[in-house]
Amino acid sequence: MKRRNFVKNVSLASVAAPFVLKDINFQAIEKKLFNYSKSAEDRVFVIIRLNGGNDGLNTVIPLDQYDNLMIQRPNVVVPETSILSLTPTLGLHPIMTGMQSMFNNGKLSIVQNVGYPEQNRSHFRSMDIWSTGMLDINETRGWLGRQFDNDYPNYPEDYPNATYPDPFAISMGYEVSATCQGLMANFSQALEDPFAAVNLLSSTVVNDGTYFGSHMEYLSTLIDQTNSYGAQINAAANAGNTLSTLYDANNPIAVQLRYVAQMISGGLKTKVYILNINGFDTHNAQVSSTDTTAGEHANLLKTLSDAVTAFQNDLQLLGLENRVAGMTFSEFGRQIASNASDGTDHGDAAPLFLFGSCINSGVIGPNPTIGSTVVDQAGVPMQIDFRDIYASILKDWFEVPMADIQPLFEQTVTFYQVLGACNLRVEDEEFERNRILVFPNPATSASSVRFDAQNEWVKIEVYDLTGRSVALVFDGNIEQGTHTIPFELHDLQAGEYIVFVQKESGSQQTKLVKVK
Amino acid sequence: MNPDLSIEEPVSLSMVPYTGAWTKSEAAHLLRRTMFGATNQQILDAVSNGMNTTVASLLQIPVISDPLTYDSNDATSAVGTTWITSVYPSDVTNAQLTENARIKSLAAWIMKRVNTENLSIAEKMCVFWQNHFSATVASDARATYNYHMLLRSHALGNFKQMVKDVTIDPCMLLFLNGATNTLYSPNENYARELLELFTIGKGPQIGPGDYTNYKEEDVAAGAKILTGYLVDGLRSTTLPSPVATYTSFLHDTSTKQLSTHFGSVTVPNAGANEYSNYIDIIFQQPQVATYICTKLYRYFVNYDLTPAVMTDVIPEMAATMIANNYDILPVVEQLLKSEHFYDVSLRGSIIRGPIELLFGMFNATNSGPNFNLAIDSEMYLTLYWLAESMGQAYATPPSVAGWIEYYQAPAFSKLWVNSTHIKTRFDIANYITVYPGIPVGGQNLKLNALAFVDGLSLPSDPVIVIDDMCDVFFPKAISTLQKTTLKFILTNGQPDFEWTIQYNDYIANPGNTTFSNPVKQRIEFVLARIFQMPEFQTI
Repeated sequence: MKRRNFVKNVSLASVAAPFVLKDINFQAIEKKLFNYSKSAEDRVFVIIRLNGGNDGLNTVIPLDQYDNLMIQRPNVVVPETSILSLTPTLGLHPIMTGMQSMFNNGKLSIVQNVGYPEQNRSHFRSMDIWSTGMLDINETRGWLGRQFDNDYPNYPEDYPNATYPDPFAISMGYEVSATCQGLMANFSQALEDPFAAVNLLSSTVVNDGTYFGSHMEYLSTLIDQTNSYGAQINAAANAGNTLSTLYDANNPIAVQLRYVAQMISGGLKTKVYILNINGFDTHNAQVSSTDTTAGEHANLLKTLSDAVTAFQNDLQLLGLENRVAGMTFSEFGRQIASNASDGTDHGDAAPLFLFGSCINSGVIGPNPTIGSTVVDQAGVPMQIDFRDIYASILKDWFEVPMADIQPLFEQTVTFYQVLGACNLRVEDEEFERNRILVFPNPATSASSVRFDAQNEWVKIEVYDLTGRSVALVFDGNIEQGTHTIPFELHDLQAGEYIVFVQKESGSQQTKLVKVK
Repeated sequence: MNPDLSIEEPVSLSMVPYTGAWTKSEAAHLLRRTMFGATNQQILDAVSNGMNTTVASLLQIPVISDPLTYDSNDATSAVGTTWITSVYPSDVTNAQLTENARIKSLAAWIMKRVNTENLSIAEKMCVFWQNHFSATVASDARATYNYHMLLRSHALGNFKQMVKDVTIDPCMLLFLNGATNTLYSPNENYARELLELFTIGKGPQIGPGDYTNYKEEDVAAGAKILTGYLVDGLRSTTLPSPVATYTSFLHDTSTKQLSTHFGSVTVPNAGANEYSNYIDIIFQQPQVATYICTKLYRYFVNYDLTPAVMTDVIPEMAATMIANNYDILPVVEQLLKSEHFYDVSLRGSIIRGPIELLFGMFNATNSGPNFNLAIDSEMYLTLYWLAESMGQAYATPPSVAGWIEYYQAPAFSKLWVNSTHIKTRFDIANYITVYPGIPVGGQNLKLNALAFVDGLSLPSDPVIVIDDMCDVFFPKAISTLQKTTLKFILTNGQPDFEWTIQYNDYIANPGNTTFSNPVKQRIEFVLARIFQMPEFQTI
């Protein structure tokens, strides 16, 4: 087993099961271990839905297929020289300059040819499939709703509460998101303006067991939740801040993402934000008849690219980059060949974007292969199943244990490395330099120390800045190798500490910051 | 898993005519489902007229007046006249200003139609068809108006003929790219929705490109069949309205092959009439009747198509439809008179949509704009935008499938109300009752509380006032405690006789606001409370 994987498993293991690290029984350690990765708890995921079926081939353009694209879609393809280069074989639509620089800065990832087997070309059925993350027509819950149901099984009963005062998901605009549909209720709150005050008249109703009764219960719960969540959202929006000057007030998605940044920076604990851009169903006049780089589709891509770029810039300025990631999706791509209306019809697979400073790689998957002859109704074949991307996001970003992810999906899940870069890689690099690492750092309630040892006696203590030992983490013999030992910080005041590793082969120390 | 499994299912699934008690409760249920907001008097009339007579009245589609120009930016039709056949000015900017004026007039007119509905199912049917054939506004308001009138004229007519007329309507040809679907470049958009959403419906995917009721190859063949129709006359300076024109050289004259789901028949070239032949073939499949009947059922009865409803109710409806060669009126009549329709378990099973909400307040209180053409139109336009802000812009459903509240499982009409919309609903309720009103053009749009209370059975009796209000606004009886609370608000905690004195004083002193204002204020308080109760949010 590779070290990184091993360390990761340690951080995810259950406290109930005693586990052994290189022959050391951790339950023997004086300070009790913590059981769960805390890093995922304050992570936020932003989903931008491109409603209508985005033309992937005019968004992320396979440069090595350009000659055949010219044959297949001469009235729609953008001029080769105008394409924004990402790699020698891949480029972006010329309007997407912001996302190009995000890509160049390692903050934009492209997953190629995403779809599902036996593509359904109905907007509605296909959007249902993407929202539920299931091909099963009987599934009514959203892919995030299923995970939320697992974590918060009785929702909406007794929510919000002291532990979970904030909405789990927020859908910007007037509608809740089908991705967050749970068994009993939708986990997303529709939100137009986080600054608007909410104080609705609440009612006491009785569910008499009829359809009417179920509606009464639904509505009275909704009213109470709206009041509670509204107050939390309000407080966060007022406490929060945004710093980027790149937001365009005329770009509705930029305006909404700015609200999102404001709420995150204000401390709202909402885990998922969903946004929506309509208009991608470009059967007609997708491009201007005089300039294929302009037109409806270009306007939509500009809205997306500019807004996400401003948002990422803001997150960087706010120091929130490592806590926020996002993705785009659309119900399908469009056919390879264009139609004579300067548009494209419903197709199959398409690329999707992941963004954030924690992406794993720039491009996942090979370019699509475009033939030289037009095949009636042909779309881009699926290579990567979107359900696997969902599963990978749950694993990488929310650090849901793999064993808990598989039951959420009907296919045998294949995990891709999508958003795991912040999980350990940064720390890994630091460890490579110093051979000692405390992570997370700063930490709130728990942290871990990683160090090298010979076959030797080791003692690890935490000191405060006055030189007083405040915690004994470990004291005993340890075998040769790299070790990671978690420890708790609950009892410590906020402030700076020194983690001191005494070894026969030489001692090391490093600073630890405890925050509230 | 179905979260509603625990819900009590209807006792009666029978489609035989209802013969049980005919009281305000049943009559109000009928009117709540077929109108936007019946008054207390309309409910009382329905009780005395009986079910059959009331349903017969409801199934009349009244003649209506034309939309009128109220904005002087319309360059070719004077204020107070109609623009529906007026040409556009040649100047592009003036043409756009004219279009803007007409769209506003049209939106206001549609809201006025809803606000001033008679005892008729017409307006409810129009929304049903706007949801079903969900073409949005064209760039020429005349086409948008004509499209609405097409739906209205067929509202209870023949479904097959309606599909044929919609197929070559300019508004629909533009909306789903039929107008650019040609021999040289077949565009599948309309051909797909014709099958998936408008006629036979999409079943489960049972093979590659096979959706049980049709296949991808039918979509491709349908696109070819439908080639050749163009739209002329958009914003024409000479033509009275946009028209669909058949252009033979753009029509695919090949013989089209349909899939096994349509008996593998071929459709030979028939030029301008080929679309009609194709629709005849589609309508040979009884699934078409089943599909449209499930939509009617969901709209008028309940979104929950339980297995029992699918085996007992829908087949009977579909049989009625087929027996009447796809006429719509007989099946709606059968439904509205059925035992199942009046089953108590179905009262309040639908959450009001925004238009039902708004006009449930205005119509039931006999209220609406009543100033002059310009102000009234702007007020109706305000109501249009308010409905839009709550998720239902009449002329522009969010997608070709219509409003998700009519089809999206498992929440359906619950989706009308979420944290954003509930706040808007309550804000509006306050604005049109206890607040001075929604300011428009120097006037205030609000409910007419005095006219409303004057129309109740015995306005001087606070118990009867509250009883009547409950009949008008709630689909089911509320608790004694809730009624007491409402009466407490009405009487301001005074003994009942104080209200009687107050009301009688107001009647005895017409025009004297010293006596009328307290009555008006108390009624407004009660209305504000009622409109913010969960019970009112359902029909």
